[in-house]
Amino acid sequence: MRYTTVIKEMNVLFSGQVMVVSKDAIVIQAIPIGGGMLPQNHTETKIKIIKGVEKAVPILFVTPIGIGEIIQPVPVNFSMGIPVENWQLVLGPTPLKENIGHFPTNESSKEVVVGPSLADQYNWTVGKEIMVKNHRLKIAGILDTKLALLNRCIIMPLKLAQKVYNYPESVNIFMVKPLDEYSQEDLANLINQNITYVKALTEDERNDMIQPVLAQIETWNLGMQTVIFIMSLILVMTVTIMSISERRRDFATLDAIGAPLSYVFRLVILETALIGVLGGILGLTFGSLAALVLSSLYTNIPLAQFFPSIFEIVPPIYMIEIFLSVVVVCCVGGIIPAINATRMRIAEALRAEY
Amino acid sequence: MKIKAVDLTKTYRVGPSKITAVNKVNFEVNKVTFTAIVGPSGSGKSTLLNLIGLNDCPTSGKIFIDNTDTSLLSGRKRRKIRLFRIGFVFQTFNLLPTLNALENIELPMSLAGKSQKEQREKAVRLLENVGLGDRLSHRPRELSIGEMQRVAIARALANDPEVIIADEPTGELDSKTAKEIIGLLFDINRKLKTTVIVATHDEKIVEVADMLCTIGDGKLKVEH
Repeated sequence: MRYTTVIKEMNVLFSGQVMVVSKDAIVIQAIPIGGGMLPQNHTETKIKIIKGVEKAVPILFVTPIGIGEIIQPVPVNFSMGIPVENWQLVLGPTPLKENIGHFPTNESSKEVVVGPSLADQYNWTVGKEIMVKNHRLKIAGILDTKLALLNRCIIMPLKLAQKVYNYPESVNIFMVKPLDEYSQEDLANLINQNITYVKALTEDERNDMIQPVLAQIETWNLGMQTVIFIMSLILVMTVTIMSISERRRDFATLDAIGAPLSYVFRLVILETALIGVLGGILGLTFGSLAALVLSSLYTNIPLAQFFPSIFEIVPPIYMIEIFLSVVVVCCVGGIIPAINATRMRIAEALRAEY
Repeated sequence: MKIKAVDLTKTYRVGPSKITAVNKVNFEVNKVTFTAIVGPSGSGKSTLLNLIGLNDCPTSGKIFIDNTDTSLLSGRKRRKIRLFRIGFVFQTFNLLPTLNALENIELPMSLAGKSQKEQREKAVRLLENVGLGDRLSHRPRELSIGEMQRVAIARALANDPEVIIADEPTGELDSKTAKEIIGLLFDINRKLKTTVIVATHDEKIVEVADMLCTIGDGKLKVEH
């Protein structure tokens, strides 16, 4: 969930721009995975002489960022090095929390801004010094944002990032803004033709690249949902059949006193629907808690930090969908047992008691 | 209600063998009577009552209710007869355990489409009539077996049936309680003019019955 959110946000942040990365890098939206680094000055010069380029911003994007000794099974923290004069271009109008502090203005300063989630977790405040990769850095401000990516980000001047993460004169992304009269496609083609060691990707291409991965995730999810659906159906059916067979005498009595078949049928379906409602509520409660605990375990972010964002981790619309699905599965699972209950032979069911 | 059974036969298949529980039985109840059917265990009493009460279908033969051949009736119509015209009392009471005494009696009335108010008033009256006016909200497990059978009788009377079919109603009861239940059934027969057909071993029931039938090996014989 968090990754898809981050992926979506990356495209929001870099919307309308051409991304230039190393030719062998795998790009998920605008996040380069693997691939070599790009020589900053050389590549910047080559990009800037291409017709149609309005601006080229070098960015160093690093994960994991190694705060203290904390090991994260899933990398959730990011660091970005951005030239100070271009911060607003990347971050947009993101303000600082409580308007305290400032964005760094000097490339050689040791000042950083951090995401609010990181600040909450480590009790960072403006002015506090933190250790990142054995470098003492000063927090100049805390971002006031709800974006998943920026929540867990340390953003610093590009030169400082290159020093901290030991990538001198290197970056892994160029964000290239085309001139108004040039389309992203035209500019990406020109960059690809003129610079052999890079890959220029438009917003659409980045979206297209992620589609097979997302489709695969969706297929996997669908497969899992189908298996769970069928298993639940069989389970509900089995439990209800057992429950009815244990109450054969009651159903036979209903039949003997003249209850219509539709009454018996509705009774069983109502029972299974109630099981669905209870199961849905319990499942959602414990499932959501499990999602929080697992998120906390895999990210090393304290559990308490997840509680306020429970409805972002499990959005209400998903909760409603899950709840309704459970009720529907239970009702469908009750159909065969309900038919069985209506077909019960009274005399046989009653005779068993004599 | 006039009930007539003609050459009524019911055969069960138990594994490879066939058991004839009821064998060419002819039986007729024309007017309001208290009928007792006696016979040893396994003689076919319960099977016969289930057939007469339209809980089961005969292998051969016919049952006529008011001259209507019930084998020609749909399941829906047979259910309607059971709901409105026949009341059942079982040896093991068969009260629904999740409902209290009042609700157990209201159930047949609710199925018959009576109003909530009517159901409640009549259920209370019936429970008072069987001496359980102070047990209205007790669930079956909170009642003694005698009280459970009284509730079962009250339930059988809920829709003012013309016939009450009772299958060994005193089978589970001690002699004192059995006597009370017999008295109750006798009163119903006499005061409400309801036909009562009872399968029993109980000599006391035999003593008060207008009509006595014996059954053995599936064959029925009318004694008086």
